[in-house]
Amino acid sequence: MKSRRSVIPGFGISMGITITILSIVVLIPLCSLVVFSAKLSFSEFVYTVTRPRILSGYFVSISTAFIASVINVFMGLILAWILVRYDFKGKRFIDGIIELPFALPTAVAGISLTHLTTTNGWVGQIFYNLFGIKIAYTRIGITVALVFIGIPFVVRSVQPVLEKIDIQYEEAAFILGADAKTTFRRVIFPEILPAIISGFTLAFARSIGEYGSVVFIAGNTPYETEIAPLLIMSELQEYDYSAATSIALVMLLIAIVILSINALAQSIVSKRVNGKA
Amino acid sequence: MAYVELHDINKHFKKFHASKDINISIEKGKLVALLGPSGSGKTTILRMIAGLEQPDSGEIIIDGKVVNNIPGSERGIGFVFQNYALFRYMTVYDNIAFGLRVKKVPEDKIKARVTELLSLINCEGLEKRYPSQLSGGQRQRVAFARALAPNPQILLLDEPFAAIDAKVRLELRTWLRQMITKLNITSIFVTHDQDEAIEVADEIIVTNQGKVEQSGTPQELYKNPATPFVAQFIGNSVAVENYQEFRYFNRKGDGTKAYIRPEFVSVFKKGESVQFANSAEEAVVEDIIFRGSSLEIKARLHGNLISANRSINEPEIKVGETVDLFIYRLYIVSEDEVFLATNSSLAEEDVVI
Amino acid sequence: MNLRRENKVLKYTLITISFIFLGVFLILPLIYIVITALKDGIAGYINAVSDEYAIKAALLTIEATVIAVIVNTIFGIAAAWLITKYAFKGKKVLSTFIDLPVTVSPIIAGLIYVLTFGRQSSLYPILDSYGIQIIFAVPGIVLATIFVTFPFISRELIPVLTAQGTDEEEAAAIMGAGTATIFRKVTFPHIKWALLYGIVLCTARAMGEFGAVSVLSGHLRGKTNTLPLYIELLYQGYDFTGAFAASSILVVLAIVVLILRLVIEKRGQKELDLNK
Repeated sequence: MKSRRSVIPGFGISMGITITILSIVVLIPLCSLVVFSAKLSFSEFVYTVTRPRILSGYFVSISTAFIASVINVFMGLILAWILVRYDFKGKRFIDGIIELPFALPTAVAGISLTHLTTTNGWVGQIFYNLFGIKIAYTRIGITVALVFIGIPFVVRSVQPVLEKIDIQYEEAAFILGADAKTTFRRVIFPEILPAIISGFTLAFARSIGEYGSVVFIAGNTPYETEIAPLLIMSELQEYDYSAATSIALVMLLIAIVILSINALAQSIVSKRVNGKA
Repeated sequence: MAYVELHDINKHFKKFHASKDINISIEKGKLVALLGPSGSGKTTILRMIAGLEQPDSGEIIIDGKVVNNIPGSERGIGFVFQNYALFRYMTVYDNIAFGLRVKKVPEDKIKARVTELLSLINCEGLEKRYPSQLSGGQRQRVAFARALAPNPQILLLDEPFAAIDAKVRLELRTWLRQMITKLNITSIFVTHDQDEAIEVADEIIVTNQGKVEQSGTPQELYKNPATPFVAQFIGNSVAVENYQEFRYFNRKGDGTKAYIRPEFVSVFKKGESVQFANSAEEAVVEDIIFRGSSLEIKARLHGNLISANRSINEPEIKVGETVDLFIYRLYIVSEDEVFLATNSSLAEEDVVI
Repeated sequence: MNLRRENKVLKYTLITISFIFLGVFLILPLIYIVITALKDGIAGYINAVSDEYAIKAALLTIEATVIAVIVNTIFGIAAAWLITKYAFKGKKVLSTFIDLPVTVSPIIAGLIYVLTFGRQSSLYPILDSYGIQIIFAVPGIVLATIFVTFPFISRELIPVLTAQGTDEEEAAAIMGAGTATIFRKVTFPHIKWALLYGIVLCTARAMGEFGAVSVLSGHLRGKTNTLPLYIELLYQGYDFTGAFAASSILVVLAIVVLILRLVIEKRGQKELDLNK
């Protein structure tokens, strides 16, 4: 293939490399998923994904991921705010450590969080003895693990936007007599809202599919703390590929819905800010 | 003899028709400006000559050869980009040497050529600097030297002065004109600034909405605009929609539209003019703008706000004053044609612009 | 700098909350790993990490990581160059497919490879006749690792190349430079820090991947167990000291990655400011 459009040479070779590797790693496997799905019988598919145990798996995954992502929106906002607006000792340390969930293998995080939060773990015993709350092997534990892996998403999407907001906007609001609270609500919040939404949806989508950090802390009690990815895993271990694929298709659908909601929200917000798309 | 020719060139970007039946012919050794408002397709023409874009149809001919299928690098072209596109991670020396190194010229010859060019652009001693350590004017001159290094037959410059501040721009214009004359290299540059085109170029090609409106020397364009667009674009014309109400101008065609340039108009205090006393028309001054060496007077005539220049040495005129306006000439627009109409009271007198 | 006086109470409340939050969620788990790993003393620790299977798992992890980084580097450079230097149809679709792997659950990533190369697949007999086994073998682990880190490098390069534009490449091309020269002399200096940064991120994620690898690994001790899988095995066998000792290796690597990240970011930023 030759590009008549550009004088820069190398179109053919870069296209060749890109398409070849993309095909092997992504396209062919994706096609085989489509082909395999097409062979599933619809009634069997419906039966599989509506089994109470599976439905409860979806519910556990979605609800814990949602709560964890909401917590991360609040903490992410606070972290982004102190990193951009304040000077304090240890700022660089915080800025660096925020990426830890990306760098630390999820399984390592999983076993460590589990041990910390069992009823005789360092943190777990405090909550158990004082409030009678169990963390590990409950949905609270799953949420804790998902908070851990979701920390960087909101911070890293809000931080650059917050950095770019011209201090003049706030000064203008201040001169017009707005107090700090009004300024934040009316001036800053609308600016960072798209970043919050995209950080939230990215964390949410990641949390729903998360496996490594959750399996250890979840305890995996059917109907209680079994997450959807684990259900796929157990079907795979029994070589029931049809059931595994059925559950996976529903999860892919959920992921697509979440990402579409994000895309829609982004376009609505950008329309409001820029007048038109 | 035409050195660069474009025949019936058409170019689309997706649905946008960027070049419409372009025909251009440029003589060897000339310095030509492609002048037009932004989006008029002038840069596209330049990039097609350079081989940076491919036309959808038509022929590009350089030195008698159709070059459509010859890559830009083999067309004997030097290109100065709008933002210079200096290689930011190379020194001035390496930037200028790049084209020669690609052509595998021996290193000692490269050194001689780079040294020669550095002295030509008055940048001796800057060879070890990086582009970020140069001033805007120096960057432009280095870009010029880099384009010239491989001894191109044609030099193409895309808005060569756009990224430079006003003061340096004037100096560079003169410098570039001298350089190009000295080297006697066929040069084409793109600009949206008519002063720049008129001052620097031997010949101007005016583009508008993807078409070539007119080409010719600056004087020709100024004197005889061929299309309404050129009449309006060159000079600071004022458009009037009812020229038939103006006295002493015979109607031509069906239209009522005309363009009047400030230099076509004289303003007189009441009773000041003897020569045109009977043929001048009364107008009321609405605004006076001090232009440094002269005054621009804006006066209302037949509902139009007409601009005129007046020397600061002449008796003072005030806003609100009723004055005599005498219009020597105007450009009448009819459909796609432009006619130069002369005030009939001037009879057959020859007027030099 | 700011017209208003900072609200001191709010400032220190927010900073305190942040420190507590990160302390509990991020620092405490790290400290816990190190302390538990050393619970049986230094000798016990050395014993645990020099276990034959631990070393084999570490070597496999290194192997998968190195291959994944190489493949993704080649892919990332080619894809980023393609997307930023040329106009062509289907660019958006291509970008979507490149980003897709990170939005898919690692378990589903594993699943699609099982469907592609597993026994029920029509590719299986062909590969089998050549003696190639992908599922429950090292190639599967490598593929899964490539998949989960697929866009990591192109994603770092694309913004840098977009900001840089195509002028310099066009200028070089018009002087007759070929692909290799343009890339090496003109483009590469612009992307070297972003590339290094992408490689670091890719390495971090590749060595820690658990879910996708877990699906595709046969969990054969010493053969198809990566370090994270080996940790799981020890943990489920109640060998907590061993599990945490092995984890501590990955903790150290994670901290090295974070420090490298900061250093590279700082150097890259410095060079960027210099060339503004």
